[in-house]
Formats: sequence, C-alpha cells, structure tokens
Amino acid sequence: MINDISELFGRQMPMSMLGETLNHHPGVKTRAAIQTDHGIACCRCGSRLKRRLAALPNNQYYCYVCIQMGRIDTLQQLAFAPEPNEFPRISQPLTWQGKLTKLQAECAQTVIDVFKNRRRHLLWAVTGAGKTEMLFKGINWAVENGLRVGIASPRVDVCIELFPRIQVAFEKVSCVLLHGKSEQPYVYSQITVCTTHQLLRFYHAFDVLIIDEVDVFPYSGNAMLHFAVANAIKPTGATLYLTATPDQNLFRAIKQNKLTVSYLPIRYHGHLLPEIAVIRTKRLATLINDGQLPKNILNKIQALIDAKQRFLLFVPHIKDLKHVFDALKATKMAAKFETVYSADPQRIEKVALMRNHQLDFLITTTILERGVTFPGIDVIVLKADDDIFSAAALVQIAGRVGRNSDRPTGEVLFYCESKTANIKSCDRQIKLMNQKAAAL
Amino acid sequence: MKHCLLCGEIIRDNISFGELISLRPISSHTVCHACRSGFNRLSMPTCDGCGRKLVSQMTNPCQDCIRWRDSGLPNLTNQALFEYNAAMKDFMKRYKFNGDYRLRYVFVSELRLALAHTKRLIVPIPVSQGTLATRGFNQVTGLLDRTHYHEVLKVTQDQKLIRQSEKNRRQRLDLIQPFELLKLQKNLIKDTPVLIVDDVYTTGTTIRHAAALLYQAGATDVKGLTLAR
Repeated sequence: MINDISELFGRQMPMSMLGETLNHHPGVKTRAAIQTDHGIACCRCGSRLKRRLAALPNNQYYCYVCIQMGRIDTLQQLAFAPEPNEFPRISQPLTWQGKLTKLQAECAQTVIDVFKNRRRHLLWAVTGAGKTEMLFKGINWAVENGLRVGIASPRVDVCIELFPRIQVAFEKVSCVLLHGKSEQPYVYSQITVCTTHQLLRFYHAFDVLIIDEVDVFPYSGNAMLHFAVANAIKPTGATLYLTATPDQNLFRAIKQNKLTVSYLPIRYHGHLLPEIAVIRTKRLATLINDGQLPKNILNKIQALIDAKQRFLLFVPHIKDLKHVFDALKATKMAAKFETVYSADPQRIEKVALMRNHQLDFLITTTILERGVTFPGIDVIVLKADDDIFSAAALVQIAGRVGRNSDRPTGEVLFYCESKTANIKSCDRQIKLMNQKAAAL
Repeated sequence: MKHCLLCGEIIRDNISFGELISLRPISSHTVCHACRSGFNRLSMPTCDGCGRKLVSQMTNPCQDCIRWRDSGLPNLTNQALFEYNAAMKDFMKRYKFNGDYRLRYVFVSELRLALAHTKRLIVPIPVSQGTLATRGFNQVTGLLDRTHYHEVLKVTQDQKLIRQSEKNRRQRLDLIQPFELLKLQKNLIKDTPVLIVDDVYTTGTTIRHAAALLYQAGATDVKGLTLAR
C-alpha cells in the first residue's frame, strides 16, 4: 500500500495497491492491466498470453507470467505517475577520486556521449577491464543534469556488490537498491540499482538505464525482461549494455544498426586472451557415463600434475562430477582434487582450498564460469559440445586463464565429440577480441 | 518441449520401453520430477475418519475423529490424496491465495483418476461471493476440471467475513452452519449417495457442516474426498 505520490513517479502498480489518499489524486494516471484487443497480452510484463491458460471461469483473464509480483487481471487497472525528475540540484556529484587508464578514459567519454545523445550502446569489455569505473563519469554527467539513472543486472549478486560501490562514488546522491529478497523499502531516488525483474515495476522512469551482464540468465532470451527494460526507460531515454560476451541478439542489433558498440578488447596487463584448443575425442560421453576417461585426457591430466600446473576441470552436469571423480581416483594418481557444484554444502570451503593452493585441481560445473580468479591456472572442459555450454559460457570459462600479469598465458583445452556452433562461436569471439587488441 | 507448472524447468520424461509398446497413451506430466517428489501421496494405513496418515501409537480412527463423535455433526469418512506438507502448503498459497488458476492442472488428473469410478453425486465445497469476485474462481471446481459435478451448495451471505485459513482451531469448530442448499438442486440429492470434494481437510468442520446439510436434504450416505490432509 502506498500513500505518497512520489512512490508512484515512474512506477506502475495495480490500483488496489494505492492508499486512500491517492485514489483521487490528479497526478495518478491509469491504463488497462491486460489488453484483449488483439489476442491477450499483459501490459505490465508484455507477455502474450494463451487464452486457454489465462482464462478465469468468470470470463476474465489474468497474467500467469508475472504473477509473482501480485496477480493482475482484466478487472484491474495499472496506476502510474509520469516521471517528473524532482531531484535536488547537485554540483559535482562524483566523489570518487580514482584514475582511469588511457583506454578506460576513452570508453568513459563514449559513455557520456551515449547518455548525452540518448543512444543505445553496447560496451563490450573483457572481464577485469574496470567496467564500473568507466561508468562513473557518465553517471556524474546524468546526475548533474537532473536525470534519473537506473543500473540493472539479471544477477542479484552483481547488484548487491555494485550498490555500495555506487553509494561511495556518489555520496551526495540518493540511491536505492531493489531486489526480490531486499528488506529496504522503496524510496524515490535519483540512482536505482536493481535486478532486471524489478524493472517490471517501472514505467517510463529512467533517462539513462545501464544493464550489466546483459548476456546471462535469466535476462538473455527472456522476452518478459526485455520488455521490462524497454518499458522502464523513457521513450527518449538512453540504454547502455555491458558485457564481456555479447549474445547473438546483441550482434544482430548491431548489424541492423539498432545498437552501436565500443570495444575494450585488452586486459589491464595488456596481454591477449588465451585461444582455445579443441580436441575431438571419440565416444567421450559414453566413456564418461561408464566412469572412464579416454587415454589422451588421462595423459594430459597426468602431464599437468607432473608439471605442477594447477587447473580447473569443467563438466556439463552435476551427475558427471562423480563419474569423472571416480575415473580419476581409479588411476591412483598422486594429486589432490575435489568436485564442486552450486548446491554443494561445502562449496565455499572447496573453492577456498583451491584458492589456497591446497588442491591441484577442482572438478566443477559452470558455477565457476564467472567472477572467480585463480592466478596462473589452465582450464580443461570435458564434453564441451554439451548444450549446457553456451558460447558465452565457453568464452567466460576460457577467460579464467591468464588473468594474472605473472602468467598472462595458459592452456584452454576443449574435449568434445564434435565441434558445435557454440565452440566455433567461442573461438571466433576470442580471435576477434585478440585481433582488435593487437591493432591497438 | 513442456515446462513444469511449478518451477518452469523443462520436463524431461523418460518413456520406458514397456510404455512404448503398451499402445496405451503415454502419461504426460505437468510437473517435473523434482517438484513431484515434494508431494507426499498418502498410503495405508490411514485414519478411517479423516484420511490422515497413521503413524505408530495412533488409534484408528484418530483422536481428532473420536472427539467429533459427540459434536452433533454427522460422522464422516474422508479420503485424502496427499499429505498437507510444505510443498502442498506452498502449492495452496500459489494456487488459492495468489490466484494462479493455471496451477489447477497440477492435480486435475489426480482427482479425475480418484473420481473415475465413483457412482456418487459429486458435490464441491463452494466459496463465498466475495472470494469468488476477487479470486475469480472456486479452487475446488478448478481441481474438478473435466469431471462431472453438481454445485448444490452455496455460502450463506454474511459468512466468511474472516477467511477460514485466518481462524484458529477453536474459532473454526465454533462455526455455525456456513452453507445453504440451492433450491433448484434439492431434488438431486434425495435418496442419493454423495461425495463432497474439498481442497484441504484441516479440522473437518467445513466438510461436516456440508454433510449435515446434505443428510437433511435426504442424501443416503455422504463421504468426503480432499486433495490434502
């Protein structure tokens, strides 16, 4: 229940959520929650609904897609209030004192330009390039000009980590963090950090919207969240996408001139990304299912252990972990290793063991594809042709190698039965980035 | 490709060789294996009165059912299909209180199977006019999708000012007759065995009041069937 009109600025919610004081407020506008003119579609999440599933026995329709945010149906109206940009004037809102490298500064200038000209732009920068810092100048410009800024990510961990950094960099500016599990109440603020799901509650709110990690689940390929993003931006707003691994949709938008792109293809230490080696291995999946590994893989692992080279061993599914673990145990090799997956109760401890050099290697699912750094490791992927490994996941996995300036190179080995489109796409993306980096 | 109604994951059904050569229709699930395994199907021994699972030290009928004997309400035999556990509680929250009508398909075929051979007149427990207006559906008739039933009961006006689930046990037991018969349907019930269907059996008050009313109208024998206990 809301009672202050400012809580509705740039937001949308069912009329039933408004308190009495707002029922006849002149600033409150309404529109239908579900439209039934051309098929049935939800006006909050944009989903086209199947008549059979959306129908209620009282001849009404409800949206079964965004029902987790409270049910809306044809008997309801969505209330909203146009965004008035009622923010206090702040001179020099940026309190961050850090320095950018020359290439980072160029990207930061691009960001300002994107915001000024209200463009749609993709900032494609390899991991560890300092993306957040490159945003500060642009956000600074937007806040100075009284614009409303949104920073959204599909991953809640990204939002939680990002929020305090934004708060520290913009001490004088009102900021709010929104996600499904957040206890913090909503307050009308100039900077909003939230999950992409929370954008369903906004309507033409942001002059500037930044989407971080745009290629990951659940945003990637989710029509509802794409609609939410488009709906949360003002019709005249700017959108900035950030990722190290753009997906096909982004590439297509670039080709169709709907999106401009700038690259930061070089890592902070100035070395190229390690390229992948694909090794085709017959009957790989069958052997692993029988708890065995082919000779060439066993030999390679033995060689790495002999050379005291630490590595990550990626498998596609949780059930593969045990098969591979048993197959390696059976060889009685002198190495310490563990398996880890998302719901593993000892997940954090095992990753810490790997970090502290107490393990020679770690057998893992895709949970370690992003956001982890083990200096100087190599990477092996088993069954790289499995559907689980998207091209982006493979690029991110390859990106675990050579992150440290002490050992900026390393081996990335993909074992598979056939070279799938995802593997080829991964190979192409890495080579393209390296070409661009070499040209600098 | 089908998605689980509860968690949205893709359902991967393994069809057995037996199923393949049996020429019978392949059973198609609306819920994935992981979600399905959260629900606990009630198996013998169960209480003859309310249908709950009997564990060691429990009498048959259970103490709750024995207490009902002096209540003035008719004795009742109820069969329950599933235990009211955490998964069922969550299901009810989403289906009834969030109003996700589509979720009826999670249990529609279970109820159809349970009711396939009954010769009794199937009578669902009704919901109040107020609930029907906001929720848009009766959760019991939703579960009886594609089953033939007769709506002979309605909730008396001024009832259900507090939702049943918001009352405590004492308040529920004190409840006066919440239902009345629809006049046109009275003849249907005379000299007919009846099966009352409800979503959850909690204290048994609701279903007993309904049974009392049906006996008054001349039903020969009344039994109960609930999705959960």
